[in-house]
Amino acid sequence: MTAPGAPASPAAGSGGALAATLLETDHVSKVFGGLVAVNDVSFTIPEHAIVSIIGPNGAGKTTFFNMLTGLYKPTTGRIAFGGREISHMRPDRITALGIARTFQNIRLFATMSAVENVMVGQHSRMSAGLIGSILRPPRVRREEREAREKARETLSYVGLAESVHDERAINLAYGDQRRVEIARALASDPQLLLLDEPTAGMNPQESDQLTAFMRRLRDDRKLTILLIEHDMKVVMGVSERITVLDHGEKIAEGDPLEVRANPLVVEAYLGKQG
Amino acid sequence: MTAVRNRLGSHFNLVAAIAGLAIAAIIPMFLDPLSSITDNAITAGAYVVMALGLNIVVGFAGLLDLGYVAFFAFGAYTTAWFASLQFAPANHSKGIHILAGDFASKLPGLHFNFLIILVLAIVITGIAGMLIGLPTLRLRGDYIAIVTLAFGEIIYRFAVNGDAIHLGKGYPLTGGRQAIAPLDSIDLPGLPAFDDASNLRPFFWFVLVLVALVLFVNFRLRESRLGRAWIAMREDEVAAASMGIPLVKTKLLAYATGAAFGGISGAFLASYQSAVNADQFQFGVSIFILAMIIMGGLGSIWGVVFGAVVLSFINTYFIPNVFNSIPSHLGLNFDLTQVSFGIFGFLILIVMVLRPQGLFPERRRKIELTEGIGADESLAEERP
Amino acid sequence: MSGVPAAPDGPAGRPAIVVLREAASRYGLIAVLAALPLYLAILDLTHDGDLSKLGNNIVAGLSNGAIYALIALGYTLVYGIIELINFAHGEVFMIGSFVAFGLWGTLGLGLATGPLGLVFGLLATLLITMVVCGVMNVMIEQVAYKPLRNAPKLAPLITAVGMSFILQNVGILWLGASPASVADLIHAQQDVVTVAGVTVHRADVLAIAVTIPLVLALTTFISRSRLGKAMRATAQDPDAARLMGINVNTTISLTFLLGGALAGAAGLINLLYQTSVWYFQGFEAGLIAFTAAVMGGIGNLKGAVLGGLIIGCIQQISDYRIGADWTPAVVFAYLILIMVFRPQGLIGEVTREAG
Repeated sequence: MTAPGAPASPAAGSGGALAATLLETDHVSKVFGGLVAVNDVSFTIPEHAIVSIIGPNGAGKTTFFNMLTGLYKPTTGRIAFGGREISHMRPDRITALGIARTFQNIRLFATMSAVENVMVGQHSRMSAGLIGSILRPPRVRREEREAREKARETLSYVGLAESVHDERAINLAYGDQRRVEIARALASDPQLLLLDEPTAGMNPQESDQLTAFMRRLRDDRKLTILLIEHDMKVVMGVSERITVLDHGEKIAEGDPLEVRANPLVVEAYLGKQG
Repeated sequence: MTAVRNRLGSHFNLVAAIAGLAIAAIIPMFLDPLSSITDNAITAGAYVVMALGLNIVVGFAGLLDLGYVAFFAFGAYTTAWFASLQFAPANHSKGIHILAGDFASKLPGLHFNFLIILVLAIVITGIAGMLIGLPTLRLRGDYIAIVTLAFGEIIYRFAVNGDAIHLGKGYPLTGGRQAIAPLDSIDLPGLPAFDDASNLRPFFWFVLVLVALVLFVNFRLRESRLGRAWIAMREDEVAAASMGIPLVKTKLLAYATGAAFGGISGAFLASYQSAVNADQFQFGVSIFILAMIIMGGLGSIWGVVFGAVVLSFINTYFIPNVFNSIPSHLGLNFDLTQVSFGIFGFLILIVMVLRPQGLFPERRRKIELTEGIGADESLAEERP
Repeated sequence: MSGVPAAPDGPAGRPAIVVLREAASRYGLIAVLAALPLYLAILDLTHDGDLSKLGNNIVAGLSNGAIYALIALGYTLVYGIIELINFAHGEVFMIGSFVAFGLWGTLGLGLATGPLGLVFGLLATLLITMVVCGVMNVMIEQVAYKPLRNAPKLAPLITAVGMSFILQNVGILWLGASPASVADLIHAQQDVVTVAGVTVHRADVLAIAVTIPLVLALTTFISRSRLGKAMRATAQDPDAARLMGINVNTTISLTFLLGGALAGAAGLINLLYQTSVWYFQGFEAGLIAFTAAVMGGIGNLKGAVLGGLIIGCIQQISDYRIGADWTPAVVFAYLILIMVFRPQGLIGEVTREAG
């Protein structure tokens, strides 16, 4: 989907084919009091790509994410999604436009069941208001029924056993909680999925499964995926392009091989050599 | 109880409500028409409506409102303005009457039928709820408490000083500390007017109908898109917004809906007691209602009903009549009525420390309180 | 989550728009606060030809404000260290007045007491009241707040309200539900000096004379002593403080002790100033002092004092120019405005690191 008027920038190093830009940031900075968390980062995500942001701890990755989803407003710079400026948009509006996310520390609604969590994810795609919720006309009843069915389907799609669909989120195993987080994000039918360290706490086998799952997501649902990750195997394995942040600045960008060989990147992670 | 609950599944609430209301409706038939028990029960019913309203704001949506008495006041004054002699100069002192009862139709002042007043009360308090909620939208939990408390106090001040505020010649806003009285009684079309001097039962059945309606609204909302949004917002405002929940609209709806219940209750009690005076609207009332929902179990609809009935009866019956002389029997020289709000303070303290989930907790709440989950982080705060 | 040090080559300082917004809201608040006094100053000048009326309001406002400052310090100390509004703090002040009054009876202080006896008697009263209130505040913390440290913030706020009600009821049982008159021990309204039509009464001198040393003692303690450092560290980052070997629980209790002591002192001053005592005085004074703390910047000691003085003036002006019936509404309107438009107050807050 190309937005009218948006320049279609070539995705750097993604095998040559020109792809439309789904999201772009233009000289974006975030300053908290005296802290410069993100410093002049310009960044694009091509449609249907899987791209990653990496960097040592404290590099500003999650802050950057939070600006894309509207939790923080950029101090300077612009963010555009599908050609539309979203720099100062409320998070719920951004979700309605088609960006969904998971959180680094799982933030499920602990006392709701997995199904209910996913149904909350569908909030922006449902329309029952105050009166509709009270009176429950047939239209609303149908909407609720369909939402519940869709939630179960999505949970099964992410691999959650049916036996635990109605289990309270806080009672689920860690891996299952991560699955529910993803299902909840998928519930809003997003175009762009932001995953914040999705493999945290996973063993290598689980990480592999997740990597394969991400590809499936992109292919099945025509998603674009942006990943923050520390697990280099996952990053190198699934990303078409990697952006490296350090101290809030972009220090490198390219395909996995380019980035791995970049001395600046090595230095950022390991410290200056000699 | 749990076995019955499981057998009936999703119909438990409906069956319990019908059974409970049916039993309650029959009881006054065995009592004297002017029985004080019925009188206390009517008051308890009004408090149930208010508690269920505050439950939406605090229990469902997690917005600590310490100024709920303001909505009670608006509802009561709606009756005082539109069903009394307060605005006697209206319409060249002939009065404005809309479906008013036979007696009231001949009187000056505004006299609207009570059903119209209920609608007016809902509208007025709904709007007031949104206006009061508006400044709190970007605030954190404890700050919301203070701002709503401040609003409650400001409304109280207007109620007290309102006798000096004139909307026009001869149209004082309130009666101040003097009661605005008498107020029209409830006069439903097709039925004889309610008369609290001869028979309290119709008032009781009317309040039962109000309770039934309010219960219905509560249960429906809890299992709905809006109810889920409120609970999500209560647990984690940031995650809720990220999932597409519009915080402003969702919070305002909570305030408006909760406020409307307060307005209904206020309007009803004013008509029943046939008087409104500013001293009814002090801060203590907000805490009293809060105590009801805390004791019963924040968020739990049945718990709140229980808490409201119990505390109301303790306040209007047990303390003044049954336990009042206990301190003097123990050699202390005060009556229990003099320490009633100390008692409620103590109850709140004890329950919150020992059993914060209340007596009949909503299953969620116990988990939230033990795991320390709650809306402590406001979306408006940006932290690195 | 990251706490990134400013990059050496980063943008010079903060972006202009942020600085502008910050300045606009601070000066906006100052403008809002100054509006009423300025208007009245102009009114007085045109009507009376001098500012003596306003001047008197301000003198009384500053001395009342000193009392509010002491109470506000208690709020701000507690909020700074555990991010909790001690709703029962106003009642500690009220009990302080009651205790002081009781001590007068025990010590035999009355109108017949000679000046030396009065000075020593009042000093003793001050010390004892401060200790009693300090300890009481710690007890409130142990009973109502400590068990709920891990509960959502709703919980301790509710227990605080409960505590506040219990204490109010203690007041009712002690001296009844109406304000009780008290011996005017220091002849509070006696003129001390009159300058340009503005009169300073004994009560004003007293309030300032007691408050200044107390505030100086407190700030010195907090900035110089080891325990004071522990308090500041715990306020900044309790986990780090714990790792450094600071006993966080004791530090918190110490904070409550200090806050309570100041409220007790305020209670005695109030008793001497108003020559009356009332179970409900804590509720009103508490909310006004809380407004002061927020206005100055909650968590900030200087802010609490500044806020107290300002609010005292606003209250006096409102009492005499608008009507005492409306003063609570006026003060609360200011509170709402501040919390909505500039919650960090005049001086801005010292926040805890997000960790």
